[in-house]
Amino acid sequence: MYIYKTGIAQIDGVSGGIEAGTNILMLAPSMSSAEQLAYALIKPVQGEYSIVLSTNERAAEVVDFFKSAGCDKRFIGVIDAITKSSTPSIADTTRLMFVSSPTDLTGIGIKFSNMIESTFEGTFADGETGLFPPPIRFCVNSISTLLMYRKLEVLYQFLHILTAKQKKIEGFAIYLLNNESFDDRTLSLIKQLMNGVIEVKMDGTDNYFRVLGIKGTKADWQKYTVNKGQVMIVP
Amino acid sequence: MISTGMTGIDDMLGGGIPRGSKVLYSMEPGVNGQLFMISTIYEALAKDLSCLVILPHTTVDAFLHDAANMRGSMLQTDGKKIAFIDMIDRERIQRSAPTRDAAEKEWRARISKLCNENQTEVIFGYFDVMYEDFGLERGLNLLKSCHSGNPPTVIIEHLNFEGNHLLEQFIEKMSFDLVVSIKASFGLLPHFNFFTLVHTSWAPMQKRSVPFIISNGRIVPYIPKIVVTGPPDSGKSTFVASASDQGGSIDRTGLSGDTTTVAMDFGWLHWKDFDITLYGTPGQPRFDPLIPMLLKNAMGAVIVIDVTKPDGLVRAKHLINLISERRMPLVIAANKNDLSGGMSEVEIRTTLALTKSTPVFFISAKRNEDVRFVLESLVDFITQFSY
Repeated sequence: MYIYKTGIAQIDGVSGGIEAGTNILMLAPSMSSAEQLAYALIKPVQGEYSIVLSTNERAAEVVDFFKSAGCDKRFIGVIDAITKSSTPSIADTTRLMFVSSPTDLTGIGIKFSNMIESTFEGTFADGETGLFPPPIRFCVNSISTLLMYRKLEVLYQFLHILTAKQKKIEGFAIYLLNNESFDDRTLSLIKQLMNGVIEVKMDGTDNYFRVLGIKGTKADWQKYTVNKGQVMIVP
Repeated sequence: MISTGMTGIDDMLGGGIPRGSKVLYSMEPGVNGQLFMISTIYEALAKDLSCLVILPHTTVDAFLHDAANMRGSMLQTDGKKIAFIDMIDRERIQRSAPTRDAAEKEWRARISKLCNENQTEVIFGYFDVMYEDFGLERGLNLLKSCHSGNPPTVIIEHLNFEGNHLLEQFIEKMSFDLVVSIKASFGLLPHFNFFTLVHTSWAPMQKRSVPFIISNGRIVPYIPKIVVTGPPDSGKSTFVASASDQGGSIDRTGLSGDTTTVAMDFGWLHWKDFDITLYGTPGQPRFDPLIPMLLKNAMGAVIVIDVTKPDGLVRAKHLINLISERRMPLVIAANKNDLSGGMSEVEIRTTLALTKSTPVFFISAKRNEDVRFVLESLVDFITQFSY
């Protein structure tokens, strides 16, 4: 089974990394650097692909993050649910796809399938090919925004399908959710779909994370920073 | 009748959708089937029907560009009778209507006003969000707000998370006339898409599934495999070659100096909105181990016989038995009918013990129109076959 390296010794050192087919919920308060942490964790290593569903940032901004982290942009795909509402004529490319709003779950599902398909067909990265079957890291940024547009019950069904597909293609996915804005029922329902949880908290300006439910990892809070896509644990 | 914009599907439906019908395109999540609805919208406007398009999930501009990207050409709205209710309208309703009842009233008023102004004949609704906001019955009842003479035809697309249970509700509780379910066969990823005519109220029809591909902005029903088999020298390779737009045969020259197929014939044709792939088998018994493999996943079969060679029917009977085990549509092409001394249909039927439902066509495989007629009949048979 493929193992996804996280670059975080506390995870990689214990279990070698994240097992293929893992879905992780990242619970974080607003204003934290959870988004950077999530992107750092789904940054592709050599031979891997990454796909981000962005409901908060434009595709160009997402790609910029990965470029600044030293990634080859040919292995980064973005499904952008922001830009099309202001630029309706924007057209899809193989790696940058657009839906008109986070409401459009039909469009999001189709674009996701199309991107996965192109990684399998070897047409994703302008002739460059990664490993096969393609290891794919995936990030939904964020479930919080999706929940502003669609009801919990509908989103649960959507995520149920998405997480099942991630398992099937043996990907590794992180789903960001603001745990301050939603009630316990919402959080526990979404957690049911996941294999593990990464919690993020802030103390002043410091950020901490802890990993729950991933085999072998300790649930201790770790103070961290993210610089150019690298997660640094602060002793 | 209103055309679906997909000729092959119109044919399966007996010409299209009767006016005043209620139609559902049900989409499985992740399956690229948006062109079904788009094709029908394009066709309705091309026929100058007055349309109301309800898009609570997107803006009109984004929808028009998305449709153009899918279809390959912009939807021609200039001078056409088309009105929209889009995401921006929904947001306005949400802001101005504090309760669900108030929102429902506002939706009703808007739909009614636009229908009256435009004498709407067809409502196209992207239903997911209306379903979420109002539920199935109340959501669909909103579309009844349209009173402009005859009841309009209602065509909706819905992202179906609930599977067959929801389809049954559309059919039984909401009396939908046509339910088309669009799905994919998933391995690691969707390896083929197919649509199923789940229910048709105006014609008795078996539930029917047909794969499709998207080509040049169009839904193309796709028959991935029709097997053409029969006794040696009955004209199978000629049949495949006559039928095909492209293809080839793996032959060698036999002792008699004639060529004989030693692996397979292969042909591809685009016909009446269908893409069809033909696989021709060798005729000699020593190749029989190949035949089950070639029959695997086939959607139909043609047995080619030589009407001037009654001895060949024993071999044909054996092949029919092989095919019958797999329960697939089968037709008989009685070839070389242009030569004298051929068998009659009664002789053929009796010797082969054919049921009445198995058609026998007298043809010359050299004539393209004969061969296409056999395939046309087989495609009809495939799309209506009771498995």
